[in-house]
Amino acid sequence: MRNTFLVCYDIRDDKRLRRVYKTMRDFGDHLQYSIFECQFTPIDLAKCRHTLAELIKHNEDQVLFVDLGPTAGRGERVITALGQPYTSMDAPCYVV
Amino acid sequence: MNAGAASESSADALPDYLPARMLNEFVYCPRLFYYEWVEGVFAQNRETVEGGLRHAKLDAKHDDLPTSDELQASGEAIHSRSITLSSDAYGLIAKMDLVEAEGGLVTPVDYKRGTPRVADGKLVAWDTDRTQLAVQALVLRDNGYQCDEGVIYYVTTKQRARVAIDETLVSQTLDALRQARETAESGRIPPPLVDSPKCPRCSLVGICLPDETQACSTLDSSEQLSQRTLFDIDLPHRAVAYARVDSDSEVRRLLPARDDLRPLYLNTQGLRVGKSGNVLKVQEKDKTIQEVRIGEICQLSLFGNIQLSTQALQALCENEVPIAYFSMGGWFYGTTSGLGVKNIYLRREQFRLADVPGFCLRLARALVAGKIRNQRTMLQRNHVEPPDSALKMMKCMQEEAEWTDSIDSLLGIEGNAARIYFQHFAGMIKVDGEDGSPTTNGPSPFNFDFVNRNRNRRPPRDPVNALLSLAYSVLAKDLTIVCHSVGFDPFLGFYHQPRFGRAALALDLLEPFRPLIADSAVLSAINTRMITTRDFVQVGPSVSLKPEGRKSFFRAYEQRMDTLVTHPIFGYRVNYRRMLEIQARLLARVLTGELGTYPVFTTR
Repeated sequence: MRNTFLVCYDIRDDKRLRRVYKTMRDFGDHLQYSIFECQFTPIDLAKCRHTLAELIKHNEDQVLFVDLGPTAGRGERVITALGQPYTSMDAPCYVV
Repeated sequence: MNAGAASESSADALPDYLPARMLNEFVYCPRLFYYEWVEGVFAQNRETVEGGLRHAKLDAKHDDLPTSDELQASGEAIHSRSITLSSDAYGLIAKMDLVEAEGGLVTPVDYKRGTPRVADGKLVAWDTDRTQLAVQALVLRDNGYQCDEGVIYYVTTKQRARVAIDETLVSQTLDALRQARETAESGRIPPPLVDSPKCPRCSLVGICLPDETQACSTLDSSEQLSQRTLFDIDLPHRAVAYARVDSDSEVRRLLPARDDLRPLYLNTQGLRVGKSGNVLKVQEKDKTIQEVRIGEICQLSLFGNIQLSTQALQALCENEVPIAYFSMGGWFYGTTSGLGVKNIYLRREQFRLADVPGFCLRLARALVAGKIRNQRTMLQRNHVEPPDSALKMMKCMQEEAEWTDSIDSLLGIEGNAARIYFQHFAGMIKVDGEDGSPTTNGPSPFNFDFVNRNRNRRPPRDPVNALLSLAYSVLAKDLTIVCHSVGFDPFLGFYHQPRFGRAALALDLLEPFRPLIADSAVLSAINTRMITTRDFVQVGPSVSLKPEGRKSFFRAYEQRMDTLVTHPIFGYRVNYRRMLEIQARLLARVLTGELGTYPVFTTR
């Protein structure tokens, strides 16, 4: 089962910041500056935490993992937007 | 294209050395050991991934261990990481995370995620871990070191649990070693654990299906039509197809209902697919129109002229995402997948049993009867007024199919039932051909009347037949992929005879699902107006879908695949995508002799 997570980071060095951004693109959708929305299985979460832990400087940077609960079966979204619209993908497949 | 790496190990020529970790698995569960060691099956879950990531760090440093003489001579304390030693005397090999040595005495330290057991206020290592340490100690001793004690370091709690390597532990370990070898050489898979708390934590639970296997085998022994039904006794096994496990022996749903992975369909001509990081970039004329993470898709279907870069192809193979190729018109060419399942035993049984006419006939009867039953259920559920005579006739044919004595007459029965079913198919369509909205190009030449009220194909001559053909093609793709992932050869079937380029086994498994998935997806696409008659074009006598219509159909089809259904035997709800896999695994159980009957999937 997947849970939706917000992953937010504060990185004190530009080079590391770019690396963290690039890494996070493999794990979730870029929502805003320094915030990603990810749908994690327990495996994905373990991998993401491990990868970031290897990358950041632990006494300067910070990464927050905010668990928004199960992705499936939520009647209404837990995220609402003001201003620019927020959309989430919930179709059963990707068709291009 | 499936290289199908053959297993190096066969029952009579297993590798010489048994890894310490495998003995750990044997103590945990002999069946798990058999899967991993003999069949080379491995699956990840959170525990194994976390363990693997921790070990990756340990394994990065690689030290040498001085010989025991050097240790005694120097006398200083030494820490050596990631040491691999083997023992010819025992036929064991052990990879040790850390070896601590002081004077002549060495102590292996093994890192484990998780927590130790607490008994009588003391930290105790789990039996599996004790066994693994004992193997390491035996290997060390055999290499001339003195080893009286080992340590398990539990990473989660940062606690060390000491294990004395005494006579009892050594003899227990050697006993387990002997049993493990016997199990491996017997070539027969040990039965699953019964209602064990270990199962939900086991990474192979979705492959092993412990509770499902138990449920089916209790069916076998409790029903008189038992264990031998598919093989010896000439009885129909329809009782099994409808039987349900008593509520007191509830089947735990150990595998998740949905895996949340989505299929990716590429249907626009001229697309190019590249890869950046772990993300597929779908480009049209150098403009990225969609980005999809590889970790979030379960398959990729390409229709027509779409370029896939080698980098993307490799990444997909590595992540075990199968790729299916179709022509522009939806003809299914084949698949590309990674190295695939190493389990050759299943394929061997498949080939052997495909030559046993009695077995083929009995399985075919069950499949056809199941299909007819499901077609009948479809009519009952969806027809405006279900025609009594047709339902009665189909009921008769279903029973006839269960008793018939040749594949040829079975084909006849199947054809007759299909004819009746399709005669009434139009009654399940609830929109008229004009679809109630004004069209710009005058009235559409089509309607959903289901011309001539029958199936036609090559080419399909009306919209409904065009949709049905596409649906069957896509469903055949899904079952071909399932066959590969379970370890079958999809091209050798039991009911469908081998024919050039035809995935006969996939078609066998597909029969009962045709009405439930494909027909149902077609009906809901039409009835909910996801597809209208304007989505079709006519070329000569043939009718086909326009690209937009095809996209809508994929959505309808995948919605159907995402629907949760109750398994008739196990009583839990899973989606159709998962159900296809469960059914294929159950058939594999029948072929390897673990189950006597194949419970064909039918809905009520």
